[in-house]
Amino acid sequence: MDPDTEAALVDRLRHGDPDAFDLVYDAFNVRLFTFLARLTRRRDVAEDLLEETWLRLVKHARRLRPDTRLGPWLFTVARNLYVSFNRSRVLEESATAGLIALWPFSPDRVSPFEAAATSELERRIERALAAMPTASREVLLLVGVAGLSHADAADVCGITPEALRQRLHRARETLSRALDRDEAAAPAMRGVTPCPNR
Amino acid sequence: MSEPLMRLLADLPVASPDRARADRTRARCRARLMRPASRPPAVANTRVRLWQPMIAVLGVVYLIAAIVQAFLVLSS
Repeated sequence: MDPDTEAALVDRLRHGDPDAFDLVYDAFNVRLFTFLARLTRRRDVAEDLLEETWLRLVKHARRLRPDTRLGPWLFTVARNLYVSFNRSRVLEESATAGLIALWPFSPDRVSPFEAAATSELERRIERALAAMPTASREVLLLVGVAGLSHADAADVCGITPEALRQRLHRARETLSRALDRDEAAAPAMRGVTPCPNR
Repeated sequence: MSEPLMRLLADLPVASPDRARADRTRARCRARLMRPASRPPAVANTRVRLWQPMIAVLGVVYLIAAIVQAFLVLSS
């Protein structure tokens, strides 16, 4: 989105123009959902956080600064909502860990993207992304998948551009190593026959 | 090595949210955006603004009265 169009949209949003909201919604909804779905690895949670992100935009629309950058603003809100959600989930899980241990199914789940991947390479990337620490995953998602600039992604994560560059560099290395490991393990895994049912 | 990796990430498929829910969210946001901006309650603000100077004036009057009373007692 070019700066003039963005400034005009921000101005219209500040005046409560619903058509401007539609344009912003159409421009960012899928990108935000893709980001949240890969971050949370749960479709239902991603849908909830996405809705809350849009409601926050509407709530703050009249107080937006004229120079607000909509992309970074929306991704920042979405990320902060995820951080809050994660914090509450950690507290909840620590409180119910004993009960979960009694549950007969593993709480680890396959990411929706991994399940829907159309090629083996895609599946391996999704699996490697899902296994990465959140801090690494989010920078790869913001820069690599959502296409944000380094400066914008740094704003979203609340770190300096230099810190982002370092984090991105480490995240790329981690991902690359994970893919190499996965590739090396794949032929070996293909040769393993499943255990017969007892 | 890292540039092809970033290209692979950029080419990953996007995901679409549930259509019905997306439509509901859009409609809800539009409705909320069109709602007139809520004004701060003017009466309550005026009350808050009036109370503070009134308390200050009463305090000053009380202080002056106390000083005058003290002078009267001392001079009698």
